[in-house]
Amino acid sequence: MDTRMHRRDFLKSSAALGGAALIAGCGSSEGITQNTEAPASTGPVSYGGSIDAEPNKLVISEWPGYEAGGTKAQTYGMLAGTSYTDKYGAKSLKYADIGNDDKVLSAVKAGQKFDLIHPCVGYVEDWAQSGLVQPFDTSLLPSFGNLFPEMIERGKFNGQQYWIPWDWGYSSILYRKDKVDPADAQSWDLFWNPKYKGHISMWDGGSTPLRIAGLLIGAADIDNMTDEELAEAKAKLIEQKKVNKFYWTSEYGDMQPAFKSGDIWITYSWPNDYKDMGNALGFDKVEYMDPKEGKLAWVCGFVMGKDTASPLHAHEYVESFINHDACVDLINLFAYGASDSTVQKSEVKDQKLATKLNIGDPQALEPPVHLEKYIPNRDKYQQIWAEVKAS
Amino acid sequence: MATAEEASVRPARRRVGRPRLRPAKGWLALPPALYLLGLLILPIALLSLYSVFLLTNLIGVTNVFSLSAWQDFFPSNPFTWKPWSTESVFWNRFTLSMCVTLIVSLVVTTMAYPLAYFLAFVSERRRYVFLFILLAPFFTSFLLRVLAWQVMLNDSGVINSALWQLGILSDGQPLEIFGMGIFRTWFSVGLVLGYSWIPFVALPIFVVLENMDRRVIEAAQDLGASRFMTFLRVTLPLSLPGVIAGFVFVLIPTTGEFVTPQLVGGTDTYMFGQAIQDLFIGTAISWNTGSVLAIWLMAVVVVLIAFSSRFLVMDLREGTE
Repeated sequence: MDTRMHRRDFLKSSAALGGAALIAGCGSSEGITQNTEAPASTGPVSYGGSIDAEPNKLVISEWPGYEAGGTKAQTYGMLAGTSYTDKYGAKSLKYADIGNDDKVLSAVKAGQKFDLIHPCVGYVEDWAQSGLVQPFDTSLLPSFGNLFPEMIERGKFNGQQYWIPWDWGYSSILYRKDKVDPADAQSWDLFWNPKYKGHISMWDGGSTPLRIAGLLIGAADIDNMTDEELAEAKAKLIEQKKVNKFYWTSEYGDMQPAFKSGDIWITYSWPNDYKDMGNALGFDKVEYMDPKEGKLAWVCGFVMGKDTASPLHAHEYVESFINHDACVDLINLFAYGASDSTVQKSEVKDQKLATKLNIGDPQALEPPVHLEKYIPNRDKYQQIWAEVKAS
Repeated sequence: MATAEEASVRPARRRVGRPRLRPAKGWLALPPALYLLGLLILPIALLSLYSVFLLTNLIGVTNVFSLSAWQDFFPSNPFTWKPWSTESVFWNRFTLSMCVTLIVSLVVTTMAYPLAYFLAFVSERRRYVFLFILLAPFFTSFLLRVLAWQVMLNDSGVINSALWQLGILSDGQPLEIFGMGIFRTWFSVGLVLGYSWIPFVALPIFVVLENMDRRVIEAAQDLGASRFMTFLRVTLPLSLPGVIAGFVFVLIPTTGEFVTPQLVGGTDTYMFGQAIQDLFIGTAISWNTGSVLAIWLMAVVVVLIAFSSRFLVMDLREGTE
């Protein structure tokens, strides 16, 4: 009997390996085109025609959890979007996980098409300049007049409204009160404290860790650091790696489970994490830090794809999110702020939480809070973050 | 002068050269050729363009040919070996990842061999039942299996909790092996990588061992060789093609592995595959640098395949003659 491996056996094994590799490595391939034209028009826009003449279909790049009410993907019972799905059906909506702002911007620049995207305020200028989005006709958004004027202003580019704000919140350190000495929990430098080595998890957040390091090195503008400041921030972050257990990539996938199980005591987080972990472990055990350097903050909203065939549907969809009731529900469900200025504090269910997170406070995003801004040298921030991780 | 009789027994001239192409059947190759062209060759061509900045999706960077991404990657000029001025963190990650991959492949192959030996020589009639048991976990998703390891290994997971309950470790003190924790460390990455690939390594070794001519082993023992010597001088050399195939099966995919270190690894266990993933769809996006890393990894894998298949093909040919 021949004892060597037969070609057929080898091929069989190869096929098994190939199948496994295929399953493990399946991914989408995207067409690559380039479009970097900046928009020139500054006049008001309007979208005519009948909504019934448009395809009843929207493809949306969205943060997980924000899928419209009424869709199967929406598992939190969120109200936002329900008025749209009631009218046009849940099956008309298709979602893709936005991942993060950098990822979706790159994907769209590389040719991926979305009707609506949900980026945050620091990226509005990137989107508007890219020529990949088109402005909204605000007259088609009945609730637009209720939105905070400061936020509306941040969505304007060349006099046109490219971005409609919806949700906002803080970013700060969530920590275990029963494990961390309160005297140590006064500053962002808690992320560097060797006392808690192995129990710290920084967010794998691209420019965000650099902005945090920027606060600690005393950078003049954390959103536009000089090359010297960036080098200093990079060294600071490489130093932080010694105490960091892991960089979390998904709040529900890895950060919250690790915090809940006690693997990590100190983590970068958003208000919903404070709410979720408080509910899970008890609010006597968790604290949302107010760092002396100031919290970070974000506002996110909608931009409309340049090539959408259904602009009127897109407007209706956005309206179904920014209306008063949907905004109240957003606050109660996720402990985030909403862009609707007419929401009263009395409408918030958890008054203690609302006070803690300054929900309904018009000064909530004023200094010393560092609201996310456009980063002119973003490619450098990204490059440095890549190097920090690989260092 | 040859007679007509002689001519009739002269063997027909062997047809040499390339067989005639039959155009009608050539079309059959078109779908796979188009498939390969569209999904393999074209993406590689695009990656090449990105790697030299002829395509870019970086904001504010115009498309001008540049080798800077390649220069930044290599620690020294590949033609002169003169070091560049800056340190290449990605090259360091590449060498580190290759070391980890080699260690994992060696350990996994060493562990898979006794398993395959047991299936082929010891388990007798139940070998296919054991084989089924070995493969049973693979009927579930790879992701689920890795996530299950998270539950097992985390600081308050199944393993640590059991050790606390049994009083082997003091409460709240997580287990450490080789001076490191068992979760979010190289230990957990190696463990889960090994777990994921052991069956794939055991299978080719099992196939070779099962097909082995038992009379050769009997002959060795008849000639006075001990069991150990028989294994060392007869069984092991004859099973080497399976061992090499198994080694390659684990080596090649783990060089680009990114899911396992992402799910059970920590800050230090950042592997080359993760860097590529991050540069394309993660939080540190630079398709130009990512393309350099991806092309380099592909080149390394092609060399590995070429190198290992040389041994395999040689043995396969010998085996079929």
